[in-house]
Amino acid sequence: MSHAKTRLHINLQSRKKLFTWARGITALVISLIFFAPIYWMILTAFKSGNEAFTATPSLFAMPSLENFRLVFSQNDFGRALSTSLFVTTISTLLCLAVGASIAYPLARVRMRGQKHIAFWILSLRIIPPIATIIPLFLMLRAVGLTGSIWSLVLVYTYMNLPLTIWLLRGFFADLPIEIEEAAFVDGASRLRTFFNVTLPLSVPGLIATGLLCYIFAWNEFLFANILTGANTRTAPVGLTEYVTPVSVEWNKIMAAGTLVVLPVWIGALSVQRYLVRGLTLGAVK
Amino acid sequence: MFYSLYASFFRWNLANPANARFGGWHNYNLILTDASFWNSVFVTVKFVSISVSIELILGMAVALLFFYRFPGDRFLRAIMILPMVVAPVVLGLLSRYMLNVQFGVISFFTEYLGLGRIDFLGDPGLALATLIVIDIWQWTPFMFLILLAALQGVPEDILEAAKVDGARSRRIFFDHILHLIRYPIAVAVAVRLIDAFRVYDIIFMTTRGGPINVTQTMSWQIYDAGFKSLDIGYAAAYSWLMLIMVIVAVTLALKLILGKET
Repeated sequence: MSHAKTRLHINLQSRKKLFTWARGITALVISLIFFAPIYWMILTAFKSGNEAFTATPSLFAMPSLENFRLVFSQNDFGRALSTSLFVTTISTLLCLAVGASIAYPLARVRMRGQKHIAFWILSLRIIPPIATIIPLFLMLRAVGLTGSIWSLVLVYTYMNLPLTIWLLRGFFADLPIEIEEAAFVDGASRLRTFFNVTLPLSVPGLIATGLLCYIFAWNEFLFANILTGANTRTAPVGLTEYVTPVSVEWNKIMAAGTLVVLPVWIGALSVQRYLVRGLTLGAVK
Repeated sequence: MFYSLYASFFRWNLANPANARFGGWHNYNLILTDASFWNSVFVTVKFVSISVSIELILGMAVALLFFYRFPGDRFLRAIMILPMVVAPVVLGLLSRYMLNVQFGVISFFTEYLGLGRIDFLGDPGLALATLIVIDIWQWTPFMFLILLAALQGVPEDILEAAKVDGARSRRIFFDHILHLIRYPIAVAVAVRLIDAFRVYDIIFMTTRGGPINVTQTMSWQIYDAGFKSLDIGYAAAYSWLMLIMVIVAVTLALKLILGKET
């Protein structure tokens, strides 16, 4: 009797195991579909010119770094990358500094209309960038900033600020207020408490928010395309230069594309946990 | 923004800036009676509605697949993150390369399958569908991550009840679980709707509105008017019409998902 019971139990367990395996394999196949184009890009980046243009593509290649070398030596892409690096870094730091100083009071001081902040942030997102670009362009032209790197720094800071404030507010609000009160009791001023206690404790939040700002600014194309001049191209704009009516050197484009995407991937994977929270404006924790 | 509202009432062309003068509703009249405007409204609505709804369904399916743990799920989930942070410019170029008629890997497959080499981006009947597929590739992972996070927040006892096989679990899923995660679903759909309306980079890198005008979305036309024809007033008025459309679409979607509570 108990024998039959055990057998039933084993049966159920093996069925469950089989089910887990089936799900795992389906998930693997789906992930592979999503990964395939990325693999193809990286693979092409390591291919020679002839290999990239064959009618029957090969799945593997003798890896060569030739394309990456050419990308840096011929097309001035290194310069575009460093412009991008400069613009995104400065705008991210600015965003964090301004964002933190607005978000902290929002998280700690109770006031009326706090619930509307979420709506305000969402509504700023609703405005399509294509609708803001024209007035922005005219304003920047009026102060003579078009074509300068600083116009992009300004625009990206402005673009990422709502999200930064929103996320940092969440992180600050999560910190136990008791720690700050303890510092108060010890005689620290509000400002000192913020810099010596609150900020160090919220470093993970600052890093996550900063990386999100970084990703958005790094990938941005529309503003960069319109606001930069020949010497101030960012990496995404630099990429478009490879496509000429005469020839399109795909293997070099893919090498340059890989260089653009790689840092973002590393960043995104390291803040995986916060990515969802950031992308949904904190609707999902 | 207010500057653009102001500009939208002017006949103002940057090629001839001294000649800016007040035009009243002139720009709006011009747009609303233009057949190409209605074409791009149609194209945009098609693009946005099809891609967002497929992303939602696919994302939900994949999220359910990943919900119960299996070996290696963390690694696969990390892989799923990669598409959505690929710069749209890079993705546009990549899809152009992969879809190339002569040496693209996709045309190789279609030929292998006996379909011949297909010009996905150049065929007026296929170009928009191709852009939709590209959008789905990039953004289904986004839906997936949000829905997975939402599912993981559902209370344990409801999930226990749903574990029992058969028709009952399906009913629990549709009646209770979907209802419980309606708020994250609404936010995800709203964010995707907003972003899909602004699709631009991909079109810039692939079809540029063509062939003929089958991929001319509203955001592309605004760019065209503002920076090619330099007709600032027209572009500004167009932007306002588009903004109204986005707001209407998002409100409708939220009403549909959240029901009467909003």
